[in-house]
Amino acid sequence: MKIVTILKQVPDAEARLRPGPNGVDFSGVTFVIDGMDEYGVEQALRIREEGTESEIVALALGPARYEEAIRTALAMGVDRAIHIETDAGLDPISQARVLGKVIAGEEADLVFVGGKQADWDSSALGPAVAEVLGWPHSDWTISMELSDGRVTVVHDADEGSEQLELPLPAVITTQQGLNEPRYPTLPNIMKAKRKELRKCTLEEAGGAQPLTELLEQSLESRERRNVMLDGDPKEAARELVRRLRDEAKVLSK
Amino acid sequence: MIDFSLGDEQKQIQSLARQFAREVIAPRAAHFDREESFPREIVERAAELGLLNVGAPVETGGLGLSMLDEVVIGEELAWGCMGIYSILMASELGITPIVLGGSSEQQERFLRPLVERGGLAAFALSEPDNGSDAAAMKTRAVFGGDEVVLNGSKMWITNGGIADVTVVFASFDPEARHRGVAAVVVEKGVEGLSFQKIHGKLGQRAAHTAELVFDNVRVPRGNVLGEPGDGFRIAMRTLDRTRIPVAAGSVGVARRALDEAASYARERHAFGQPIVDFQAIQFKLADMKIGLETARWQTYYAAWLVDSGMPHTEASAIAKCYASDVAFAAANEALHVHGGYGYVDEFPVAKLLRDVKLNQIYEGTNEIQRVVIARGLRK
Amino acid sequence: MVLIVAEHSDGKLRKSSLELAQAGRELAEALGVEPVGLVLGSGVEGVARELARYLPTVKLVDDTDLANVRAEAWTSAVSEVAKSLDAKAVLFSSGRTGLSVAPRVAVRLEAPLLEDVTSLGVEDGMLVATRLAYLSRVTERVRARSLPVVASVKPNVYPLPSEQGEGSMEAVYVSLSERDKRVSVGEKRKPSGERVSLDEATVVVTGGRGVGGASGFESLVEPLAARLGAGIAATRAVVDAGWRPYAEQVGQTGKTVAPDLYLALGVSGAVQHLSGMNRSKVVVAINKDGDAPIFKVADYGIVGDVHKIVPELTEALEEEGS
Repeated sequence: MKIVTILKQVPDAEARLRPGPNGVDFSGVTFVIDGMDEYGVEQALRIREEGTESEIVALALGPARYEEAIRTALAMGVDRAIHIETDAGLDPISQARVLGKVIAGEEADLVFVGGKQADWDSSALGPAVAEVLGWPHSDWTISMELSDGRVTVVHDADEGSEQLELPLPAVITTQQGLNEPRYPTLPNIMKAKRKELRKCTLEEAGGAQPLTELLEQSLESRERRNVMLDGDPKEAARELVRRLRDEAKVLSK
Repeated sequence: MIDFSLGDEQKQIQSLARQFAREVIAPRAAHFDREESFPREIVERAAELGLLNVGAPVETGGLGLSMLDEVVIGEELAWGCMGIYSILMASELGITPIVLGGSSEQQERFLRPLVERGGLAAFALSEPDNGSDAAAMKTRAVFGGDEVVLNGSKMWITNGGIADVTVVFASFDPEARHRGVAAVVVEKGVEGLSFQKIHGKLGQRAAHTAELVFDNVRVPRGNVLGEPGDGFRIAMRTLDRTRIPVAAGSVGVARRALDEAASYARERHAFGQPIVDFQAIQFKLADMKIGLETARWQTYYAAWLVDSGMPHTEASAIAKCYASDVAFAAANEALHVHGGYGYVDEFPVAKLLRDVKLNQIYEGTNEIQRVVIARGLRK
Repeated sequence: MVLIVAEHSDGKLRKSSLELAQAGRELAEALGVEPVGLVLGSGVEGVARELARYLPTVKLVDDTDLANVRAEAWTSAVSEVAKSLDAKAVLFSSGRTGLSVAPRVAVRLEAPLLEDVTSLGVEDGMLVATRLAYLSRVTERVRARSLPVVASVKPNVYPLPSEQGEGSMEAVYVSLSERDKRVSVGEKRKPSGERVSLDEATVVVTGGRGVGGASGFESLVEPLAARLGAGIAATRAVVDAGWRPYAEQVGQTGKTVAPDLYLALGVSGAVQHLSGMNRSKVVVAINKDGDAPIFKVADYGIVGDVHKIVPELTEALEEEGS
């Protein structure tokens, strides 16, 4: 079975974003492999460990610094990686077209993508890649089971959860709860050095034109009252009710 | 020329150790410190991830990591907890005499099972009546036929009694002082070996420290590292190296102290502003930074000397002495910045001070380090 | 025209779809075209009729194969209708369904996607949107480079539309291929109990680790929520600990809510959680740790033990009501 896991590298959630000349200043921000993508890598590794002979390939489309995320995946146990290196800011739909071509070329059976991704807060990559490939897709997947030519998943729906059965090949968007990603061990970090990391340019991968353009970017700042209420529990509670009623006017009853 | 950057692989190793420290060690450190109990699960996980005995040679199934790799790991783990790190650090200390002074047969025999099992090693030099004056040791080794018989006691041994493999330094010829000392490998479970855990330590309480008692302990002659008279030299060559991870640990604690102090100072308000806006606090933080950066670079330099096969005695002594003094000062100031909150256990800073005080004492007191450094200046 | 893809549940239009109708009407006006509603499903004429009170035209595709939301079937149906009516924009609500179907339609129509937007406008004939990024820490203005455009709109941003009398309803037929029907939908599990839906709640009470366990939720959170008629939510830490179901999780990997009043009890305020609630109009935080990040985004904060304060709060609200 050939499994492709798509990776992104995003700002660390703890990183402090600062306002910059062009909107937001990302210099000095630590970037890490998107936590969501780690669920995909982990799931691919478990499929192999549970007995399905597989080749696992990590695929990333992005600037040079994405290499770190790729090396993390290699250190976790992925077999080889492909990095389409580009500084072009591509929207998820354009990205999907490029990635779809590569995945089709690899003749993959299963593709994992992270869910709500921590850079653009986007969940579009999974469905878009599936549509480009003409494959079925499961979003917000919290459990999966492979059987003959099919994958049975449970995913989050608008309310509660739902079971789906998809024929392979398929695209799975991961979600928290699917698994617990492993730490890369030291021996695997060292083995990762020797694994294949194939680089290619955006042109070599077929090229792409962004469909959207970013006009402006600014730090979201929301003015909050930041009023701290003192006193013993009884006093503080009553003061809070008074303020919610008279000042904020959010108590309707 | 000089390249001050870490390699890609080192950055990944650092990242792994940092994540492990942040997610596994730091959240539980206070618990093991309070209970003075051994963090078995953490040590096992560290072993699973390959963070234990990283210096074991590749020929014996180990990773054969460089001293710089070990230093990078050490700073990260000690940031999480110096006590828990010292468990791993002491194991590296325990295997070093075998790596430096043991034959390939001995390395294979002692280190391979250790690496495979994820077991701990220990280094037994200090005694109840002598620490700095190592050559005055009272533990006796008597050679007879195919065996060596050990009698005596060792003190302040980290992993003492729970280690699978312990390197014991014993005198077979007291008249010959340091030339009459042998390095003998003692395996766990041997008859006559007993230990007493030392309770009530001020800090590094997660680490198991013990007094070891040898009552006619018999080990095969083949457990002696090198020639019988090589023991002292093996011990000194070991300590020349293993001072460096201690320095790395001190850097980790200094960094933690700065992180905690800076974070607190940004949030705590007084006189209408965060206290980080006051110069008095800023100067404290700046001093911590000055100490931490310079200590780290000296530690990296000493590690580089080891990895380049160059003499490193003086550089490692400087690193160990300086880093521990810097860390102690940083922990003290960090506590002070926290005011009353620094004085209670609910905040992590008091523990930093309790833990890092020992870094100025063990693995060669800072006074001994100065003696070592001055030696080169007296000629 | 602007095609507004409505969603429904238990035979009723979702509140987010009404907001979407408002968004569609405003966008259609800006583009100088007509807004058209689209209802897909099986036995959903009632839903279409309801939508027709807010839109001049509603297309209804009633097909048993559309009874369950299957992304490929919906993609084909929406794309076919959009093409046949020469839609300039296709709008979805950015709930789970919209977030999965909109990108597929965008690829199918070779259109740009404006995802999870908080506003839509027109500049020089092109669509411009604002949206949040980087775990809701950054606001972006994005322009689509061509028409048509597919967009998904964040719930709780647009107001509810005013009724416009009875619009026209028309049944439409789409051809679904075998491929569109190949995913089978199995067992569904809905969250139990008569809880106020988080997506529609105007007040949300969230419990974090500080609540201290499932019993803490029962004794502290539930009475307060009942008093306020509020939806109950939980942080990731609480869900991971097994005290509450995943359906109640608010945050990056859970739901995003923007109620009028959000009460965070024993919640520390990790960035991933804040990204799911920071657009709430008024935020109240109660936590015994004065340094907890939640206080930075709170309008009102009380540093103290939730076990002491929350019962007092519930009682004070009782007195208010009576």
